[in-house]
Amino acid sequence: MVDTKHVQMLPKPPVSTWTAEVNGLKCEMLVESNAILLDVLRDKVGTLGVKRGCDLGTCGCCSVLVDGEPRLSCLMLAEEARGRSITTVEGLADGHHLHPIQTCFAEAGGSQCGFCTPGFLVVCSALLDENPEPSKDEIKDAIEGNLCRCTGYQQIVEAVEMAAESKRSGESAPDLTDPSSDPHPVGPDEPTLPPGDAR
Amino acid sequence: MSGAPRQSFNKTRKDGKRIAGQQDFGVPGSGGSSPESTLQDIDHIPVSQGGQKEQPRGPHVHDQHITGTSVGKRTPLVDANWKMTGQARYGDDIRLPGELIGKILRSPHHYAIIRSINTRAAEALEGVVAVATGVDSINSFGVLPVTKDEHAMAQKKVRHVGDLVACVAACDEATAIEALSLIEVDYEVLDPVHDMEDGLEDTEHPIHDRGKYHIGESNIQKRVFQQFGNLSAMDEPAASSEADWSFAGLHHGFTEPHAVVAHWDPAGRLTVYTPQQVPHYLHRALSSVLDIPMHQINVYRTFVGGGFGGKSDPFPHEMCAAILARKSGSPVRICFDREEVYWINRGRHPSRIQMGVHADDEGRISGIETDALIDGGAFASFGHVTTYYNGVLHTSPYEIGGFHYTGARVWTNKPASGAMRGHGAVNSRCAVEVGIDEVSEKLGVDPMTFRLANLLPPHSRTITGFRITSTGMRECLAKVREQSGWDEKFRNLPFGRGIGVGCGFFISGSGLPIHWDPENFPHATVHLQCDMDGGVTVHTGAAEIGQGSDTAIAQAVCEVLALPMDMIRIRSQESDTAPVDLGSYSSRVTFMNANAAIRAAIELRDKVLKATWEIIGYHPDQLVLGDRRIYYKHDPAIGVSWLEAVHKAQADSGSLIASGSYRTPPMGGVHKGAAAGLAPAYSFSAYVAEVEVDAETGFIKVVKAWAAHDCGKALNPLAVEGQIIGSCHMGMGQVLSEEMKYGRDGHLMNPDLLDYKIMSVHEMPEVVPIIVESNDPEGPFGAKEAGEGPLLPILPAVCNAVYDAIGIRPDELPLTPDRVHKMIEKKCKEFGVEDPLDLPNPSFEPSPLQQKISDRAEEHAERDLQRDLLKDRSPYVNGVLFGFDPELPLIEQDEGWREAITPEQEDLVDEGKRAARAWKHVERRHRSDE
Repeated sequence: MVDTKHVQMLPKPPVSTWTAEVNGLKCEMLVESNAILLDVLRDKVGTLGVKRGCDLGTCGCCSVLVDGEPRLSCLMLAEEARGRSITTVEGLADGHHLHPIQTCFAEAGGSQCGFCTPGFLVVCSALLDENPEPSKDEIKDAIEGNLCRCTGYQQIVEAVEMAAESKRSGESAPDLTDPSSDPHPVGPDEPTLPPGDAR
Repeated sequence: MSGAPRQSFNKTRKDGKRIAGQQDFGVPGSGGSSPESTLQDIDHIPVSQGGQKEQPRGPHVHDQHITGTSVGKRTPLVDANWKMTGQARYGDDIRLPGELIGKILRSPHHYAIIRSINTRAAEALEGVVAVATGVDSINSFGVLPVTKDEHAMAQKKVRHVGDLVACVAACDEATAIEALSLIEVDYEVLDPVHDMEDGLEDTEHPIHDRGKYHIGESNIQKRVFQQFGNLSAMDEPAASSEADWSFAGLHHGFTEPHAVVAHWDPAGRLTVYTPQQVPHYLHRALSSVLDIPMHQINVYRTFVGGGFGGKSDPFPHEMCAAILARKSGSPVRICFDREEVYWINRGRHPSRIQMGVHADDEGRISGIETDALIDGGAFASFGHVTTYYNGVLHTSPYEIGGFHYTGARVWTNKPASGAMRGHGAVNSRCAVEVGIDEVSEKLGVDPMTFRLANLLPPHSRTITGFRITSTGMRECLAKVREQSGWDEKFRNLPFGRGIGVGCGFFISGSGLPIHWDPENFPHATVHLQCDMDGGVTVHTGAAEIGQGSDTAIAQAVCEVLALPMDMIRIRSQESDTAPVDLGSYSSRVTFMNANAAIRAAIELRDKVLKATWEIIGYHPDQLVLGDRRIYYKHDPAIGVSWLEAVHKAQADSGSLIASGSYRTPPMGGVHKGAAAGLAPAYSFSAYVAEVEVDAETGFIKVVKAWAAHDCGKALNPLAVEGQIIGSCHMGMGQVLSEEMKYGRDGHLMNPDLLDYKIMSVHEMPEVVPIIVESNDPEGPFGAKEAGEGPLLPILPAVCNAVYDAIGIRPDELPLTPDRVHKMIEKKCKEFGVEDPLDLPNPSFEPSPLQQKISDRAEEHAERDLQRDLLKDRSPYVNGVLFGFDPELPLIEQDEGWREAITPEQEDLVDEGKRAARAWKHVERRHRSDE
């Protein structure tokens, strides 16, 4: 019994110039007409924060925002996104100031292994843009297409609630590259002593 | 600068000018993200150190090192920001210039002999750079040294659909796929074995030929027999539960598919980038498969997108990438698609477990009889250990009269099973806890009280000889009882709604490193290095897989040195820079690596304190570490900054480095297999689940779960809660929806995330995580594991709640609506009712025994407290409840005591027991020599 099933590859699809705005930057590159958006983002644009989990639209790890709408990039042709604005997880932070959803995910334990996190973050940031005060059920509805194997979702939902709160209050995350952004600077010569009755 | 009298080593002249060449290195507290010190949180410092925190009860060696800096605080993971910004690089995110894409040709047959492989056409295809087959990798490997039964690619046989046959490296994915189709393989198809019971039968073509260890002509890979205790105790039980369980196989369901990049650098060294839980075993396997010394290999652990045990074997595709990279001269990247992830599997063993639980008329657990047949799939993987774990890991937290276990693992033509969160303990734990529930019902006692009256105390030994140090089991049960409103709800909820309890027990680090003698080499080693910047770099081989191992180790170092977290840098990714470590499995990292880190940090601290002594003239005993400052205990104004002390220490010794290691104390018995299940500490947990069952459709919904876990001491409560909730998620998946479905012809029917049903956010109920701290005397700051143990109790808790809801004791998982519906139909026939809603709602009428065991539980609570405080130091072994004298050796206890690892003929009389049949085959050793 010999297996000889030569799978002839399809003839090379036509290639054309594809343009889109990815994380605020204009991208222009040669892309095959049948290219999947996920592949273009990972292999050509270089936004490796977009994750490939299942290729079937079941896990949500590859979620990106296309014109602000959450989309599964593994189920979308690059052609569909031509000329549109795409936001990946790399585009959420403002320079070194993280988006509230990013700080809150870290603080609330919304991410463990972190592989599903980029998908959750873009979906939740879109939710907060649309609905600044989401209820628990609204949060659950928003992330129902994303699978997380580590957290059991509870801390993710808490993180989104926290982020909504901090976004409303207008707090912004500190710039970690710059210690002087510390909100409570103390003069360098001012000694600080331990409290208590150690003396 | 304060005007405190101190001798500075930044010398200044009398006129206030600096002496040439002497530079002021700054102020107290320099370093860290914020230049000023934060006040010490005295709530977290023990009273003995001037803080307000109450001492934990019991002996606890690490108290003196607590500085109140990080332990016990909710700490975000140290690598969180990489993950948040998409900059964490997982396996498939490693892109090297000039890379080739590797693809694997897989077997389309369950079981076949390979007559020939012709790769000429594939090699000739344009764009193909290298093709490899079994002849390129003749050396075998396996995660356990005793069962090396895997090869990078099939040698003579393929053993399951998806088994690796050949691989190709090409310029792009499309070319590689086309090349695979050009490889001609001539197969001679053999009769496959799909059902695990068929694996017990004699066969002409055993799946593996293991030479001298071969047992008969069957596919039995491992068989275990164990008897402990007084087996006559269960001769005439007052109540018994017999169940025949069937558990489906499970996959870990991590979101990141396996991926690997291999690269031979110009100096001839191999670097393998891979998401691995156990990089060291891969390191060893690569060395033997590729026939090169270990020092020629660097295993680089990328970020790991979920492991749960599924990334802890050395994998054949990792070998393939290295072989292709060697042949082609270019880096090769292989990334699995989701289907391939299921072909490589290593998930939870499908198993059939016959479980007998017996109780005597005093409400004691007089015996447990277990027979577990487990389906190993095509390769051994961790199965040798799994076969033991199915038995020994359900012998605690209870005191048991007698324990009888037969276990067998068989090879079948399915993707290999392996280690998965709760390794080997989950299924038998579910069976025994449901058995205990049934027994307590038959005795007319509340299952909560029944458990409380049969617990082993702290500082005791189990029936199999495991040493229990700390246990918070009683507190766990008390907490879930109170918070869930157990006493009001149990058997009082309306039909269709129910509540159930389950307990768990798990190892906190496996006691035996499988590749070396722990007498000679430690389990874990951590190196610290402190340079002129004052920050501390930690070198460890502990594999961060998302559980927070880097964070736990950083916390341990912070705590001892009183430094902020951002001054600690963890380097744990490369085998080139990390000391050898066993990696992330058997819930060992926090216990072993944090212990090693504490020791290293103490060594470093001693050097810095000695330098401080020379600067300010106070003995280290009189010095206290604050936040980036070391000062005199009685006058905090007298002190030096951390940086100043570090510089002084470096000036004295040239470099500031330290090293610490951990090895387990001597533990446990001497019988064959005694090392399986041995651990320096054990975690305990108790869960209560409340469910709703739709009796008409069989649909089960978990409403809420209360999950109490004794993790010794929560170094990072945020991470512990995450582990508890995440474990519940995974466990509820196993009990309600997840299974690897094999069709009638043995084909895997659901190798994707659409049909393999992981719970989404909508199915996930609210979980109340309850942390119980028993402060283990040997754990780092008292900590034990929290990664795997929390999974165990949720399964029986849900099963017992289903009984409370509709009066049906499940014996098959997962409880999908179709299965539950069938159980309900059967029950309706039994009761002669048409409408399932007319089925009786289980009720509870306490018997006279209830009061008696309730009193016993109270007595035992007092006994446990005394033992915990070390006021009662008398030896305690399993069996005291049954009248044993702990001072005497067990074997001298009474005539009925037995400790056996090989069966007598009379032990195997029961024809119905499955695994026992494995012992009836005639063992033919040295078969290959004949």
